[in-house]
This record gives sequence, structure tokens and C-alpha cells, in this order.
Amino acid sequence: MTDEDFRRLCDFLYRRSGMVFTEAKRYFVERRLAERMRVTGATSFASYFARLRSDQPGEVEPFINAFTVNETYFFREEHQLQCLSTDLLPARLMERPAGRPLRIWSVPCSTGEEPYSIAIWLLEHWPQVDAYEIEIVGSDIDTRALEAARAGLFGRRALMRLPEALIGKYFEPVDDEHWRLIADLRQSIHFSTVNLVDLAQTRAHGRFDVIFCRNVLIYFDEASRRMAAENLYENLLPGGFICLGHSESMSRISPLFEVRRFADAIIYQRPGERGDG
Amino acid sequence: MPLIRARAGEAAALPADRASLIAALEGGSAGERLHAARALAALPGAVAPLSAALHVEAEPAVREVIFTALARLGCEEAADALLPLLRARQASLRNGALAALAAMPGRLPARLPALLADPDADIRLLACELARALPAPEATTLLCAVVERESEPNVCAAALDVLTELGGPQALPVLERGARRFDATPFLRFAFEVAIRRIRASADTDP
Amino acid sequence: MAEAGRARILVVDDAGLVRLYYRQALEAVGFAVEEALNGVEALEKLLRAPADLVIVDVNMPLMDGITFLRALRRQPLPLAALPALVTSTEAGAGDVAAARAAGANLYLVKPLEPAALVLHARLLCGVPA
Ligand SMILES: C[S@@+](CC[C@H](N)C(=O)[O-])C[C@H]1O[C@@H](n2cnc3c(N)ncnc32)[C@H](O)[C@@H]1O
Repeated sequence: MTDEDFRRLCDFLYRRSGMVFTEAKRYFVERRLAERMRVTGATSFASYFARLRSDQPGEVEPFINAFTVNETYFFREEHQLQCLSTDLLPARLMERPAGRPLRIWSVPCSTGEEPYSIAIWLLEHWPQVDAYEIEIVGSDIDTRALEAARAGLFGRRALMRLPEALIGKYFEPVDDEHWRLIADLRQSIHFSTVNLVDLAQTRAHGRFDVIFCRNVLIYFDEASRRMAAENLYENLLPGGFICLGHSESMSRISPLFEVRRFADAIIYQRPGERGDG
Repeated sequence: MPLIRARAGEAAALPADRASLIAALEGGSAGERLHAARALAALPGAVAPLSAALHVEAEPAVREVIFTALARLGCEEAADALLPLLRARQASLRNGALAALAAMPGRLPARLPALLADPDADIRLLACELARALPAPEATTLLCAVVERESEPNVCAAALDVLTELGGPQALPVLERGARRFDATPFLRFAFEVAIRRIRASADTDP
Repeated sequence: MAEAGRARILVVDDAGLVRLYYRQALEAVGFAVEEALNGVEALEKLLRAPADLVIVDVNMPLMDGITFLRALRRQPLPLAALPALVTSTEAGAGDVAAARAAGANLYLVKPLEPAALVLHARLLCGVPA
């Protein structure tokens, strides 16, 4: 790959996803590009790049995939969980009418690590957890992933970021390599099927105080991203928050949300209703 | 365990028939207008009420979802409703319309040549950006023609920006001629240099 | 990341060639430069790390320059007071007036000459030549 090809590719990635790769990351980019060219049988950068630009046949998703971590695990992006308990929930409590539960949506939740992490985090780190009703919903399009989520059986890799003490407290060992989440916790999360780009399906889930929508929109094409973001906007209460994944930026998705900076994370917010709402 | 298992969703009941959606779009709260615009897009005959709303709607979020809805409809009528907004005085309307048109590449080939030849340089400039949504060969042909005849530096620069991303070797002779015409403008000199360098690099490495 | 003591400029434009051109001109005289492609990304970047000046185009996808300026001026201080140089293609009366009303400190017509860019950047950042 020439210098100019490298720039062309980085410009494309930047325009499409917001991810920035500098000269220092050249080796990283080249390795992934070489792998994709090998898999697709492309014989030159120009022919691969043409395929990528036209996204035929669906080359953007595997390409972006090569630059991101697709595997989900407990306490992934812990700083956002920290932000949830320190800033987001306290902000929501100020707006919440008495008696309404706080609702949190993990979508997509894949095999459940994310919604269970939210539950464990709040039990451990949010002193007010006993004072309010909290509903956590986990949804995904993949019904097999949801089955695994409900079963709550996890391997070593999924637990690598969890402190030993928490594994002891919330899991029961099944064998040397597997742990099952305690029944109380498994039963506290409601799992459901949803396609993020289907308005009727997202709508049926009601409105939430906080939505975690991490590591999925980056793979969608522009139209689907906008559609999903607008669906999620309607799933948020006015003033509600949405968290994206680490490599994702709302600047490539939708202008509907306000950008908010908290101590631990950049979070997006549905604006409060102005008078007429 | 204080966490409670969620009940089924609690979505508010909303009108679904065309007449009530149009009424909500015209007179509802911001949240209702937003929902009505999105729901209306699923019913036939949505372009007229949606584009009418666009001209009077003051809430940016509602405008955005109308642009998305028109883009998804993607029909000739939707494209024609968006075109005049490229001339809007408000930057947000211009750019919303631009994004929606870019999302319907099938409607562009019939409209781009006229836009690229528009007497208003700002329209020609936005039209160059629309060409980015086309397959590379078509875009290259249209934009090379722009570079050949364009006298306004900013329009030419917009064409170069897109060619830098997608241009193939057939653009090189045109770019070399164009570079001489704009030699006196530093930014254009730079833009031509980068575009030529980038296109030449991948042309060289092609087997 | 800006080095200590170097004034930092955020260039906001959806044209990659424009961002690259400004970057080279500004870095050549010692500014640290960051880039954003639209108003939303500019807000994200400014909320992550402060800047001394933002140079912003009017026509951009998802969030145009005028909408960005309004959102910027609504931020808490000191961000709300960040100097903003707006650039656009036509000296169209509409854009100039809208940019002024939205809180632009200066409006320049594209294409910019590097000398003018550097001169105004220095003035707005309070950096001596
Ligand atoms: C990489 S995982 C993200 C899991 C978790 N949020 C995380 O960040 O670790 C992506 C998930 O998105 C789901 N997904 C893909 N398309 C979807 C759609 N249209 N609607 C809902 N979920 C979808 C996949 O089934 C997969 O489980």
C-alpha cells in the first residue's frame, strides 16, 4: 500500500465511522486491509477500495469488524457504568415523577454480559439502589444469543474483567471453565427480541431513562443508522441518555441528541421538552 | 434483590390513521409531530404532507425525521420535494435536503447534470457533494466535466474533494489541464496536487 | 493532543482537502490542529479537550456550521466563549447575517489565502506573530 492509498483508506474510514488512524497506526491498518483483501480475493488496493466504497457485497461490515472488538464481556467500558451511577441516574431522579421505576435498556445485549454488568454495577456501586425500582431490559435481534443470555452460563473470557470477589458473590461455578449467574440476578433482567430498525418492535418496549446501544450502529449503513437512532430517540424519555460504544460517534449517526460531557464519559441526551411537549 | 423484572412495555397509544397523523403533524406537541411524521411515512401519499410540514416546522428534531422519512420513501416525488430546499436561506434546511437526496442515489443521475450546470454557484457546489453518493465511474465522469468547465474555485474544489476519494486514472488528464487554469489560487493548486497524487498512486499499483 | 503552550485550533469542515490544507498552513506556524467533519463531531471534540479557536464551515452534513455555533454558545463557560472563525463559499448575505447572529467572531469567504488564515488565527487566539 502506498502512502496515498493509506490516506485514501483512512479518509474513507473517518468519513464513514469517525475512527481516526494516523501514520503511527499504519501497520495495524495494513495488516487488517491485507487480511480483507486476501479473503475477498482482491488483487489491488484500487479494486478492493472500489468494492468497499460501493459496499458490495456487504464489505463494509466485515471491514469495520476487523478494526473493532466484536466480543462482549462483563464490565466492558467500565467508565460508562461509572458514569451511569455517578451522573446519569442522579440526573434522571431529579426529573422522575414519584413512583415511576427507573428503566434501563441494553440493546443490543448479545449474550447478556452487558445488562448483567449494569445490574451488578448498580448493586455494588449505587448506594440508592435499594430506594428505587429499577427495571433492566436486554434485547437483541439474535434469538440464540438471547437464549444464552437467559441461561446465564459464562466462560472465563467473559468474566476476565470482573473482580474475583464479584464472581464469588454473583456466580456459581459449574466446572473449571464455566460459571452460572445466580438465579436472583438472572431473573431480574427481562430479555426480549428486537430489530433496532423496526419502529413497531422498538416502540413496543416503551420509554427508558438510559439506553446502552453499544457496538452495533457502527456496522449499519447510513440509512439504517438514522432509522435506528430515531427509533431510540422515541424510546427515550425527554432528558433521557444514550451511551454508544467506544469507537462510535453520534457525529456519524444522527443530530437529534445533545452531546453531554460527564467526568467519566461523553454521553448523548434527548433534549427536554420545551413547553409544548 | 432490589432490581425488578421489567413488565411489558408501556408505549402510549398513538393514532395510526392518515387523517389523525396529519392533524398531529400540523398541530401536535413536538413529540407528537415527530412521531406523526415517522408514522405517516409508512402510509401512501406521505410526500405532500411531509414536505408541507418541512416548510413550516421550526423544531430541528422534527425536521430531521421528516428528511429521514423522505429519504426512505426515495420516490421521484420525494426527490422533487427536496430539490428546491437546496436553495433555502437556512443552512440547516439546505444540508438536511442535501443529506436526504444523497440517500437516494437512484434519483440523482437524472437530476445531477442540471444541478451541476445551475447558474447559482452554491447549487453547483452542493451538487458536487451529491455526486459522492454515486458509483465511482459515474461520479468521475460528471465531476471531470465540472473540472473542465467550472470557473468558480469553490465549486471546482468541491469536485476535487470527491474525486480525491473516488476518482480513477481516467480523471488524470482532466486534472492536469485544470490545475494549470487554477494555478494562481493557492488552495486550488494544493487541491489539484493532492487529487492527482492520490489517483496516480493507486493507478500505478494496479496490475 | 496539544503540546503545552501551543495554541490549539479545531478545524471543522466536511471537505478533507480543506481540513488538510488548513492543517498544513497552521501547523507550519506552530499551531496544534484537530479536525472534525461536522458540528456534532466538533462538539464532541471540544467537550473532550478545549481549544483556543474553532474554524468552521457553514455547509456540513448532520449539523451545519450555524447550528453548531448556536449549540456552542449554549455550552457552559469557558467553552461558550470560544472564538469562532466562520468560513463559507459565497459572501451570501444570508449566511453572514446568520453566522453573526449565531455568535461568529469573524466571517471569511473561501477559498482562504494561507497568509490571511494564519493572520486571523493568530489574532483570534491572541498569539503574537
Ligand atoms: C458486538 S455485539 C454488541 C454487544 C454489547 N452491546 C457490547 O457492546 O458488548 C452486536 C450485537 O448486535 C446484534 N444486532 C445486529 N443487528 C441488530 C439489529 N438490527 N437489531 C438488534 N440487534 C442487532 C447482534 O445480534 C449482536 O448480538
